[in-house]
Amino acid sequence: MIEMDQKIAEQLSEVSLNSAIQVRCGTSNSFTVAASIIHPLITVFEMGGVYISASRAANEVIEGLEGIGISTEKIQFLDMVSSGIHGGTDTEYENVAYIDSPIMLESALLRTMYFMRTTTQERNFVFLDSVNALAIYNEERMLAEYLHTFVNTFRQRDVLSIILNVPDQTPPGVLANLDLYCSDLIDRGQIVIN
Amino acid sequence: MTTTSAAYVRDRCVTGIHGLDEILRGGIPYGSTVLAAGSCGCGKTTLGVEFLVRGAENGEACAHFTATEPSVKLLENIRQFEFFDMRMIDKGLINVFDMDVLYSWLGLTKSTFDLGDIHALIKAITDIVNTIGVTRLVIDSVTTLCYKIQSDQLIRDFLFTLGKRLSTLGCTTLLISEITSDKTRLNMWSSFGVEEAISDGIIVMGDVERMGHLLRYLQVVKMRGTQHSRAKYSVELTPIGVMLTPMLKWGAGHM
Repeated sequence: MIEMDQKIAEQLSEVSLNSAIQVRCGTSNSFTVAASIIHPLITVFEMGGVYISASRAANEVIEGLEGIGISTEKIQFLDMVSSGIHGGTDTEYENVAYIDSPIMLESALLRTMYFMRTTTQERNFVFLDSVNALAIYNEERMLAEYLHTFVNTFRQRDVLSIILNVPDQTPPGVLANLDLYCSDLIDRGQIVIN
Repeated sequence: MTTTSAAYVRDRCVTGIHGLDEILRGGIPYGSTVLAAGSCGCGKTTLGVEFLVRGAENGEACAHFTATEPSVKLLENIRQFEFFDMRMIDKGLINVFDMDVLYSWLGLTKSTFDLGDIHALIKAITDIVNTIGVTRLVIDSVTTLCYKIQSDQLIRDFLFTLGKRLSTLGCTTLLISEITSDKTRLNMWSSFGVEEAISDGIIVMGDVERMGHLLRYLQVVKMRGTQHSRAKYSVELTPIGVMLTPMLKWGAGHM
């Protein structure tokens, strides 16, 4: 059982719906950090949202979250990984949609907007996991442009955006732009695992 | 003494398609004939049907002339979309006509049409529009229809006369046109080269290739009577209809 980072919940209580949070984590603690964010959003703030999984398959994320007792019922997953794997889009979960490739950035944006238009939840978040995974496939300038559009699109619609990234695997130009666009920072990038 | 005069603004046919009315700064000027041109699989038919559905939702009478596939097949394909409701057909808000059936009614059994045939066809279409009171019309596709017309001059005459009569009747028309991706690269928006000159507006749909994947796009190239965006927009065909967002500038396919 992982131990949730309680300070993240405290920090989340101080942000508004139109905030854009940059979340810095390390390679080894990304799931713990993601879970520590999702948990209070669902249970304390009673939000729904979209989880864009570019790092790993949505099935894996769902199983990970459900495994530690976090309900994923109110989350719609957009899987940008599994279409690239033969048979990867077989799923038992109804709340998973697939995007053909991590290069189809606009599709992820439009699919998220589609879910925001159809959801009955009043307060929503969009969780992007992660910038460094998208950086594998997308050129630096395009990724920076995308994040600019992403943050502004959801800020305008009062949707809380949370952008996960591992700084040392993110292109410097993208990182600098994230600092500029995002209104808040949760920094868990320097954790030392004993 | 100073006088102020309000700027003249043309009444618009609000398409109701997510993002398109913003691109058009409010919609298509009423009575316009708009060419919706694109390569195969880029969403032209879905755009056309949604244009009619949004009109039907406001109680407008709409008509769809299908030349590329039988109406039964069209409806079967379109029923998968949540935005489409078969009751709109049952209530007569959306009227679907097979061009082949229309040709038979008119006795147009020849493989090619002459001037007389073309005028009979124009009269039949405008009579239907007039009788039902159609305010939104889609012809899918005008390319298939024009294959039966032998000369560019006759095609020009057909489209010009049809557009003029429909405009007089207050009908806003989408002419779906099939083009190859090669033509869009050469800034050609129609199969015969004459459709684009006759139309009041041109909406181009196509694919941008990005690292081996095809991303759908839409671009309004021309729309008389409106200051519109000419940027490329990324298209997603969702269950609730077409959705548009500006295409990333660094990924829009540079020449």
